Order: sequence, then C-alpha cells, then structure tokens
Amino acid sequence: MSPAPVAPPPQKPFVIQKARTRFFGLTLDETIRAFFGGNALMAVVVLALITFFLFREGSEFFGQNRESITLYRKAGLEYVDQMRAQQESHTALTRYLFDIRLRAAKHLTEEKGLSAADANAQLASLDEFAGRYSDTIEPVRGMVSELTDVAVAIKEKYTLSRDAEKERAQFIAAGMAAEAAEVKIIPVDFKVELAPLVGMTPAYVEAANGVSTAITALLATPPTVPAPALNARLQRFQELNQQYIASFPATQKRLETWDYQKPVPALDTFTGFILGKEWKTASFWQDWYGVVPLFIGSLMVSVIALFLAVPLGVGAAIYINQFASAREQRLVKPAIEFISAIPSVVLGFFGIAVLGQALRALSQVEALSWVPGFPFAERLNALTAGCLLALIAVPTIFTLAEDALNNVPRAFKEASFALGASRMQTILRIVVPASLSGIVSAILLGLGRVIGETMVVLLCAGNRIAIPDFTAGLTAFVQPVHTMTGIIAQEMGEVVRGEIHYRALFMVGLVLFLIALLINFLAQKIVRKYRVSIG
Amino acid sequence: MSAVSLPPVNPFAHKPSRTQALEKFVLGAFRAATYFILLCGLVVFADIIIKGVPTVVNGFKTTAQFPYVTNTFLFTAPESLYVFEHQGQAMEMGDKDYRAFREAAEAEAVAAGQPAPKFKATSYVYSAGGIWPCIVGTVLLVIGSMSIALVLGVCSAIFLNEYAKDGPVVRFIRLAILNLAGVPSIVFGLFGFGMFVIFCVWNVSLMAGWFTLAFMVLPVVITASEESLKAVPKGFREGSLALGATKWQTIRKNVLPYALPGILTSSILGIARVAGETAPIMFTAAYVVRDKLPWDVEKVGDFFFQGVMALPYHIYVVSSKIPQNEYTARVQYGTAFVFLAIVGLIATASILLRNNLRGRYKW
Repeated sequence: MSPAPVAPPPQKPFVIQKARTRFFGLTLDETIRAFFGGNALMAVVVLALITFFLFREGSEFFGQNRESITLYRKAGLEYVDQMRAQQESHTALTRYLFDIRLRAAKHLTEEKGLSAADANAQLASLDEFAGRYSDTIEPVRGMVSELTDVAVAIKEKYTLSRDAEKERAQFIAAGMAAEAAEVKIIPVDFKVELAPLVGMTPAYVEAANGVSTAITALLATPPTVPAPALNARLQRFQELNQQYIASFPATQKRLETWDYQKPVPALDTFTGFILGKEWKTASFWQDWYGVVPLFIGSLMVSVIALFLAVPLGVGAAIYINQFASAREQRLVKPAIEFISAIPSVVLGFFGIAVLGQALRALSQVEALSWVPGFPFAERLNALTAGCLLALIAVPTIFTLAEDALNNVPRAFKEASFALGASRMQTILRIVVPASLSGIVSAILLGLGRVIGETMVVLLCAGNRIAIPDFTAGLTAFVQPVHTMTGIIAQEMGEVVRGEIHYRALFMVGLVLFLIALLINFLAQKIVRKYRVSIG
Repeated sequence: MSAVSLPPVNPFAHKPSRTQALEKFVLGAFRAATYFILLCGLVVFADIIIKGVPTVVNGFKTTAQFPYVTNTFLFTAPESLYVFEHQGQAMEMGDKDYRAFREAAEAEAVAAGQPAPKFKATSYVYSAGGIWPCIVGTVLLVIGSMSIALVLGVCSAIFLNEYAKDGPVVRFIRLAILNLAGVPSIVFGLFGFGMFVIFCVWNVSLMAGWFTLAFMVLPVVITASEESLKAVPKGFREGSLALGATKWQTIRKNVLPYALPGILTSSILGIARVAGETAPIMFTAAYVVRDKLPWDVEKVGDFFFQGVMALPYHIYVVSSKIPQNEYTARVQYGTAFVFLAIVGLIATASILLRNNLRGRYKW
C-alpha cells in the first residue's frame, strides 16, 4: 500500500484577480490591433478586387473575338474584303486625280486670271481622262457589291442557326424537352454556301485583268496639264498606278489560295485588340475592336495638355517657391489648389459652351493663319479637350513640383550664393536640378491624372473614332478624336451585358488600369532612384 | 566763354548687362505663368457665375404658405420646356403649365363656339423646372460614401501610424494606397459596375454608388488622416503609456481627440472629390431622370437599392444630350453654377479650416 498522497497546501488566491477578455484567443488589445490591420489591408483588397473584376468581365473577350474573326473568315467576308481593298485603292487614286484637277483649275483662275468657263474649257481633256479613269473600276465594283450581299447572307444564316441552338440549350436547361425539340436548327454548311462565292474567282480575276489593261491603255495617252508642278503630280500618279497594277497578281494569288477552314490563331485576337487600327461596332459587315485609335486619341489630348501644363505648372511652382513674397504665396497657393476643385464635368460643359467656339473664332483670325492647323472647322477637337485637361493637370503639377522645390536644403542655395552665383543662376542651375526627380514625377502624376480623365474628353474631344491623319503634320492635333476613357463612358450604357462589345469595353478599362499603374510605378521609381542625396 | 555743359556722366553707373536683362525676362515669364493660371481659373468661374446666377435668382417666387418664399429652380424637379406661339405671342412654359394652359385655351374656345386653337410647340427636355432631385441625390451619395470612407480610412491610418512597424507588409500596403490613388475614376466605375451592380446584384443603386465612391476616395482619406495623426507629438503617447495605459487606451484618450479635427477637415477635400466625380456613378448609381424622390419608398430596405439623380450626371446629360440654344442654356448654366457653388464652398471650407487648424495646435 502506498502512503496516502500528501495534500498540497491550499494556495492562496491572488488578492487582485484580473480576468482577461479574449476573442478568438486574442486579448482585447490584440483584437483591436487586428481590426485596424484588417482595415489597412482594405487598400490592397480593393486593388485586387479591381483587377479581378476587370478580368472577370473582360477576359472572355478573346474567346468571343476569336469566334467573331472565325466567322468573318468562314462566311467569306474576308474573301470579299480582299477584293474591296483593291477597289478602294482605285477610289483613292481617282481622288488623287481629282485633286490634280482642282489644283489645275485653281492655277488657271487665280494665277492666269482666266474665267471659270475658260478654265473648264482648257481642262476638258483632263476631265475626260478622269471620268474614263474612274469608270475603269466599274466591273469590279459591281462584282464586289454582289458578293457582299452573298457573304452577308451567309453570316445572317449562321447567326440565326446559332441563336436557335442557344434557344434550344436554354429550353433543355429549363427542362422543357418538348419545346426544345420544336426549335428548328438549320445547320450551315459553309462549303456549300461559299461555292457561289469562290466560284466567282475566275470571273473576278478576269475583271481585274480587264481593269489593269484598261488603266494601262488609258495611261498611254496622258492628258496635258497647265503647270509644270502639276506635271510632276501627274508623273507621280502614273507611278502610283504602276504600283497598283503590280499589286494585282498578289491579290489574285491570295484569292486563289484562300481557304475558309484555315484556323484563326489564338494570338491574332490579342494582337488584333492591342494593335488593331479599327474600332467599329454595330456594323452590318464585321465588328472590329482595335484599341489603337482610342489609345492615340488619349495620347494626343494628353500631349497637348502636358505641352501647356508643364511650362505653366513648373514655372508657377518656381516663381511661388523662389521669388514670391510670403503674402503672395499665401494667396496664390490656395487659389491654385482651388482650381483643382473645379469638377471635370463643369470644365467639360465650359468647353462645349464657351471654349470650343472661342478657339474656333481665334483660329479664323487672319493674323494667326500661320499657326499649323489654323483655321479649323470642328468646334470640339483634341485641342479643345487638351486645353481643358491642362487646367486639370496644372494644380497637380504645381503642388507636387512646389513640394519638390521646397525639399531642397537651404545649404545648396547658400553655397551657390557664396560662390558668387546670381539668384537666377542658383535657381536654374542648382535648385531646379536638385529637385528634378520630384518635378519629373510631378509631371508623370499629372499625366496620370490627364489620361484617366473622362468627362472633359467625353464632352469636348469630338468623339470621332479614327486615327487622325498625321500626314498633314500638326493639323492632326485639331482633329476630333475619341479616347479610351471616353469610349467606356459613352458606350457602356448601350451595350448588351455579356456580348463581345461589353467585354471589349472592360478590356479597354483593363488597359487603362495598367497604364495608370505603370505611370504611378515610374513616378515612384524616379523619385527614389534619381533623388539627389541630401545630407 | 564757357563750354556747353554736358550732363555729368557717372562712369560708375550700373549698366544692365545682357545676363541681367535675360534674368529679368525669365522672372517675368515665371510670374506671367503663375498669373495666367489664375486668370484661366477666374475666367471659368466668372463665366459660369455670371451666366448661372440669373437662373437661380429668377427662380425665387413668393408663396402663400409658411416659408413665403421658394425657389423654383432649386426646389422643383426637371421638366420639359415647351416653346410656342399663342395669339401672336411667343410663350414658353414647363410641361405641367403647358398642359394646363392648353386645356384652358381649348375649353375657352369651345365655350365661345370657335374651333380649338392649334398649338405647335417645340419641346426641350429638362429645360424647365429645377434640379431638386439632383441636389438630394448628390447629398445622399456624398454622405453615404464619406461615412464608409471615413471609417475605413481612419482605421487604416491608425494601424499604419500607431501599430505597424516598418516591414514588407506595411510597405506593400503603402504601395497599394499610392497606386489606388492613381487609378482613373472611370476604372472605378467599371469595377463598381462589375462587382456591385452585376456580381452583388444590387443593380443601379445608392449602395453601389456609395461603395464605388468610397473606394475611390479611400487613399485621400488615409493620407489626410495619417498626416493628422503624425502631427500629434510623441510625448502624448509616451506619457500615457508610462502611466500604465494600454495601447488602445492611449490612442483613444490621448491621440484621437487631438487628431480628429485635423482628420475631419482634411477629409473635406475628399468630399469635394466625391461630389465632383461623374464617371464612377455613371453606371453604378445615377439615373438620367427619376420622378420619385429618394425617401419616397415603400420599404426601408428599398431606400438603399434605388438609383438617384445626381448633379454632375445631370450636367453631363443637359450639356451633351440637348442642343445648345437660348432656351436650354439657362438650365445648363444654372445647374453648373449650383454644382460649382456647392463644390467650391466645400473646398473653401476645407482650405480655410486647414489653415486655421495649422495655426491653432502648436506643440
């Protein structure tokens, strides 16, 4: 038998007993800390959510776009477009010829002082030539318009059968077998449908050859033009025609080897979006979603805005920080900050109601006609939007640049003065370079502000979806453009949820988001990397 | 016999050199840039105020009942404007008045045994009446989104400034905040549409707008709050901790009371941003037109899930969807003026209060 265990002496309880409240094993203080930490994570969560939802809604775009391009090929639209391209280059050449005619008439009436009737009489041979030239394409034109109808009909048929399939799938999903069986699906055999289209190839080739012989015959007897400068143009016209005719065999080869079954590479839908030069929606022919015209539009308005805002913003920052009296500073700084409080939609309205007309009136002033692009006819264009965006960018650039200038240590300035430099020398050669990284990042953040701005460009940029004509030089900057932000705001309300157009808009949003992140990243990087060490 | 006295030439006189002239010119250019910016801002303000004030002033009407004065522009809903000729007189009326007038005229003609008069009216949508539903909607949007943003933002700032120690996580959070500040507002609109309107099935509603705007303004609130918390001297915290208070007690009793005024005033700048943005609410919260006022709901729950009219969106609609002419300009300028006045007042208050506060607390 073991000895009875000795009872331990009874422990005295603490006089003060403190029970710790615990939540999920955490003390109160730890819980509070966790709560605040969770809130702080919110910024990360929001950023992740934005990325996720843009992808969620947008990522299906590529699949749908691939389907759309595949149909473009299968229904023979691509085939017809190759012929159409040939026809359209002919139209461009005709336009060139008419331009020569216009110049000739101008030369005769303005420089030779002939009356309009006399000038027309002198140009009769040119007119006849132009008329005959523009007629040469007629056989091709007729054929293309006929084939267009055929291709559209095939596409229509396929769309109908696909809709029927969807309807049946919906019935089956809803468990209505009888209704599902009743839905008629007419399958489309592309090979059969395309037969008349492809069967036209020999006839088309013949017609195209006819065009080329007709052009060659016509060009053998060129018309006379009244000025040597125009002769050079006529020469150029001949050259262009030779190039045009030389391109015929290649087109014919493409038509002959064209195969509706050739698969569309997955990468094509991606490059078609990123590098596509056309944004065309709700067309009867084929929709294209290329972001390039929108991106160029955004870029152009931003360039104009920064071109105006950088000198103003940085200049004002230097003035206020380095030269202004304390009183001036106290008044001007809040005033410029106040400008940033003007809502962008009010600025956009101001642009529509006042600035657009004012700029157009200014461009029509005789004394300013040397400015490239002046005079212009469009009230709402890239310049109008750019001017207003400059007003949005200025406060951002000003405030941040002023901060950067403020951070330059006094010692830099004092040392410079001690060496005998003047005030301007000190500022332009010491203070500004020392704060250059801050100023550059201020400009970048201004750019981010401008490129993401929606209402001003939506109201004032003119909203024409086309890549501006850069061959005319700076005139491109007074043409109407459309922007990435503008297109989202404009078309989002009209699209059908889940359709390709809807997805495309989310993709544009994603591009915008990535651009904004990139700009931000660069701005931070520049500040950190190129900061002059201040020690 | 004296030589012609030449004016004395001071050989030591200061001759401005070319460099000095250049410096003067550069200085002038900088000064011109500064005042040019202010001039541009002034022109925008002046144009909208001068053309917008008459609309508001003309809206004042006396009434028979209690307040005895009301403003038809500020306190009524938008209507269509009808412009027509009646008995040789050009007239213009809002939708309701026009109908009443027409009926009265027709009844009169019938009573007199004449054929009913023909009315050929041109109508302009939204060009009569006022903007009351838009003002209400904007105020609701601002209150809701700022409440959400303040709670999230102040808590984040407390964590970042009081609790967090510098490390990869905190650096990552700061990076996220910086990047969030640079995201374009239209992207927030798309995100709000994708998440709240479609995924959460809230449809176009106040809730969707609140959260979208709150997330958009979050970086502003966090930055402002952190700045105010930083301004509270370290000694306040150390003194409290030394007396045995816990961290939370310290923050609650010795940090927040001193930081709160600063947090609130700086956050007013966020209000200006929330009230002024159009793009995020375009697809999440704003209706082009809505007859009912927001509190006109059957269930309390419906209040949160209804779309509203909002001032910025209304300006967009009236400036882009209807033609510019003398009849529509009144409403366009009037709305722009009221909106600018509201946002301007908020911004001024924020700037003044901030300057005032900077002078008051000196530790």
